[in-house]
Amino acid sequence: METVAFWILVIAFAGAFAAQVARRVQLMAAAPATISLDHPGARASRFLIDVVLQRRTIRERPLAGIMHALVFWGFVAFGLYTTTEFLRGLGIVDLTHTGWFQAYRLALTPFAAGVLAGILFLLVRRAVLRPVGLGTKVSLESVVIALFIATLMITFLLAFRLDEASTAGRVNWWVHAVVILVFMALIPASKHLHLVLSPITVFLKSPELGNLPNLDFDKEQVGLETVKDLGSKSVLDAFTCVECGRCQVNCPAWGAGKELNPKAIILQTQEALLAGERERKLGEVYSEKVLWQCTTCGACENQCPVGIEHLPILIGSRRGLVSNGDAPDYLGAMYNNLERRSNIWGLGYDQRTKFVQSAALETFDASKHDVLVWLGCAGSFDADFQKSLRSLFSILRAKHVRFGVLAKERCNGDPAKRTGNEYMYQELANANIDDLKAAAPKKILTSCPHCVKTIGDDYRKFGYQVEIEHSSVFVEALLRQDGGNGAAGGRDVVTYHDPCYLGRYGGKVDEPRALLERFGAEIKEPQRNRDNPYCCGAGGGLLFADKEEEPGSRISDVRFKQLQATGAGTVVTACPFCSIMLKGAQASAGADTQFVDLMTFVDGKLAKST
Amino acid sequence: MILVIAEQRDGRLNRATWETIAGAQQLAGQTGAPIAVVVPGANSGGVAKELAAAQVKEIVTLEHAALEPYTPDGYTAALKEAIGALSPAHVLLPHTYQTRDFAPKLAARLDRALVTDVTAVKAAGGDTAFVRPMFQGKLTADVVPQGPAPHFVTFQIGAYRADQAVRGQSPAPVRALAVTVDAAAIREKPEAPFQQARQAVDLSQAERIVSVGRGIKEQANIAVAQQLAEALGAEIAASRPICDAGWLPMERQVGSSGQTVAPKLYLALGISGAIQHLVGMKGANTVVAINKDPDAPIFEIADYGIVGDLFEIVPAIIDAVKK
Repeated sequence: METVAFWILVIAFAGAFAAQVARRVQLMAAAPATISLDHPGARASRFLIDVVLQRRTIRERPLAGIMHALVFWGFVAFGLYTTTEFLRGLGIVDLTHTGWFQAYRLALTPFAAGVLAGILFLLVRRAVLRPVGLGTKVSLESVVIALFIATLMITFLLAFRLDEASTAGRVNWWVHAVVILVFMALIPASKHLHLVLSPITVFLKSPELGNLPNLDFDKEQVGLETVKDLGSKSVLDAFTCVECGRCQVNCPAWGAGKELNPKAIILQTQEALLAGERERKLGEVYSEKVLWQCTTCGACENQCPVGIEHLPILIGSRRGLVSNGDAPDYLGAMYNNLERRSNIWGLGYDQRTKFVQSAALETFDASKHDVLVWLGCAGSFDADFQKSLRSLFSILRAKHVRFGVLAKERCNGDPAKRTGNEYMYQELANANIDDLKAAAPKKILTSCPHCVKTIGDDYRKFGYQVEIEHSSVFVEALLRQDGGNGAAGGRDVVTYHDPCYLGRYGGKVDEPRALLERFGAEIKEPQRNRDNPYCCGAGGGLLFADKEEEPGSRISDVRFKQLQATGAGTVVTACPFCSIMLKGAQASAGADTQFVDLMTFVDGKLAKST
Repeated sequence: MILVIAEQRDGRLNRATWETIAGAQQLAGQTGAPIAVVVPGANSGGVAKELAAAQVKEIVTLEHAALEPYTPDGYTAALKEAIGALSPAHVLLPHTYQTRDFAPKLAARLDRALVTDVTAVKAAGGDTAFVRPMFQGKLTADVVPQGPAPHFVTFQIGAYRADQAVRGQSPAPVRALAVTVDAAAIREKPEAPFQQARQAVDLSQAERIVSVGRGIKEQANIAVAQQLAEALGAEIAASRPICDAGWLPMERQVGSSGQTVAPKLYLALGISGAIQHLVGMKGANTVVAINKDPDAPIFEIADYGIVGDLFEIVPAIIDAVKK
C-alpha cells in the first residue's frame, strides 16, 4: 500500500520536474550553439575550486559562503542516503539494514548538523538581515525552501530516536520523502535550479574572462539583435542564476547609481526566454541606455559563483545595436577618429612621430632589439602619459634593454571591440597583426593594460600569438634579476589602483606592488583591489561617455573617493585611461591628492639610488 | 573672364564669397583675366553693393523670384544661362554646403570639368593647376582641368582669407542680367530651414577664446579671466572641473565631454592640458598657455607658453591690450 502510494507520488513529482526541465532544455537546444569544451584542464580545475571547494561562494562573503558550503557539502553527502531510502520506498531493494549503510547514516549526522546550521543562518540573513544584493523583496519561495531543507535535516535526525515501524516513525519517513519530492518539483522554476545546473555551468564557463568569439562576416553575423540570437551558454546562464547579487554589488555602474544591474540583465533574459519572446529586440529587453553603461570591467562575470558570463550578452547586444546604426553619438565620433586617423582621439599622426623623435626611439628591428615597445593611443598622443613612457624608456636604457617601436601603429581595436563595433575592430586588428608579423618581435612590452589584453588574448582568435607584457611585470622581473635596488629616500605612503585589465583580466596584482615595495613604499590598500578592483569608468568606450553621465553618477568619482579614503596622499596608477579618469575626478573634487605613474615612480627611485 | 558665384541667404552675404574673390584675384594675377561676380537670388541689391567694394570688373545680379528660396534646379537653370551669356574661362565657388548641392549638377549640365575643395592655385607650365587634398588630406594633388571652358573650381573654406581680397579704389559697376527661370520646372519644394536646437553659447564659432582651468583656484578669480576676454573680444570657456564646480555654466565646457572649438586664438589659463580637454581644442589656430607648472602637458601643444602665475600675467596682458 505504502509502496504503491510512493510510486504514484514519485512518478507525479518526477514528471513535474522533468516537464519543467525539458522546457528549458528545449530553449537551450533552439539557441545558437556557443558551448565549448576547450581547455578541459582549466575547466576541471575551476570545477574543483569553485564547485567542490566553493571558492567564489566563500571568497567575497566568508560567513554566508561557509554556511552555503555546509549546505552544499551536506547535499552531496546525502545523495546516496536519499537514493537508498527511495529504492526501499519503491520496493526495489532494501539496503538500509546493511552495516555500511548504518555506518554511513551515522557519519551523516555531522553533515546534517552543518546543513541545519547553514540553512537557518541563510534563512535569517535572507529574511531578516536582507543584504541589498538579494533584492528588495523577501522571496517567499526561498523561505519555504529553507524551511524544507531544515525539515529534511530534522526528520533525518529524528529517525535515530524513533522506532521505524511506529506510527511516528512512518510519519517521519513520509514527511522526509514528500518534502524531497515537493522540493524537486519546485526546483526548475526557481533559482534553486542552480543546484542542478551550476556545476554544469561552471564547467562550461569560458576559462577566459570576457571571452567573445569574433563575428564571422562571411556568415553575415551581426551580433545579438533579438532574444533568439542569444547563444546556448547564455540561455543556460539565465536558468542557472541563483540571484545572489554578487554581480550587482560589484558592478561599478550600479555602484555609481546608474541603471545597469548585471543581475537584472540575466533575470530579464530568463523572463524573455520563458515568455517565448524570441523576436523581441534585446535593446528593448534590457534597454539600450543600460547596455551602454557597461565598462566591461568584468567584475560581474568574475565574481559569479555559478559560472554565468555577462559580457557575451552585454557586448553581443552592443554589436547588434552598432550593426543597426544605434550607437550613441559619442561613439560615432570615436569611430570616425578610428577610421580616419586610427586612434581614438582623432589626432594627427605627426604627433606620434614627434614624440618618437623627441624620445629618440629606434624603429624596431628584430635582429637588433630584445623587445618591441607598443606605445598605444595614449602613448602616442597623450602628453601626460608620454611622461610615463619616457620613464619606462629611461629604466630600459639604464638596464641595457634594447628596444624599438613600430614605425606606425594603429589603435589595437579594444574600444571598437568592446563597444560592439566588430567590423572596425577586425580591420584594426588585422592591419596591426600584419605589421606585427612583419616586425616579428619575440616579446612586446606596453604600459597599456588594454593593449596587453587585446593583443595578447584577443588577437589569438586570428591565429596570431605573441608574448606581450605590461611594463610593471617586465620591469619588476628586470629589477628582481638585478637584485638589490633597496629603498631610496623616505618612506612613501601610497595607494595603488589596480586597472581592471591588468588586475582582473590579467591577474597581475603582485608585480606592481612588488615594484612599489622594492623602493620602500607603504601601500594603503583601497576597498576593492587586486583581482576585484572598482573600475575607473573608462572601459568599454565609456572614456568618451562623460557627457552622457548623469550628475552624481560618474564611476570615476566613486573610485576616486575610495582611493582618497585610504588616507594615502598619493595614488599610483598603471594604466593611461585610469589615470585620465581619476585625475579628472580629482580635479573636479578639487582634492590635493597626488598622482604618480608607476613607471615614473620607479624611474625616480632608480635615479636617486644611483 | 573669371566668374565668381556669390552665396547669400535672405540678403546676407556668406563670408566665404570674399575668400573666393581672393582666390579669383590670385588666379587673375596669373591669367590676366577680368573678374565678374554673379549674385543669384531675389533682393540681392544689398549684397551686390557690398561686393562692389572688391577690386573686380563688375558685379552681375541675377534677380528672379524663382531663385528665392534656394533650389538646385532654380540655380542650375539661372546660372547656366548666365554662364552662356558671360562665357567665362573659370567659374569659382566657395566650397559651401550649397555649392556642394548644385555645382556638380551645373557642371554636369554643361558637361564641363569641376575641381572641388581646392586649397591653392598655382601655375603649371602654361596651365593653371588647382591643388586639392586627397585620401583624407594625406596627399595633395595638382589638378589641371581638361576639356573646353569654363572649368568649375570650388575653394575650401579658409583656403584664402576674406581680408586678403583686394578692395577697389571705387565701387565696381553693378548690372542686372535678366534670366528666365521656369518656376514650374523646379522640382524641389524647400521647407522652412530646420534650426537645430542651439546651445545658448556656441563656442564653435568663436574666433577668440579665453579658457579657464583649475589653476584659477576660486570662483571669484573667474572675473580676471572675464576681464581679459572682454579686452580681447573673446568668449570665455573652461575645462571640466570649473564647470563641474558650477563656476561657469556647462555649455562653456571645452573638451571631449563638452564643446569642440576651433578659434584663431585659444588662451589657456591654468589648464593642465589633460587629453580629454585637448581633443576639444585641437583645431585652434594659435594656442597660448599660461600655467605655473612647466611640466603641464598643455605646453606640448601650445604655440606660446608662459610659465608663471596667471594672476600676475593676466592683468599685464589686459593692460597691454587696452593700450
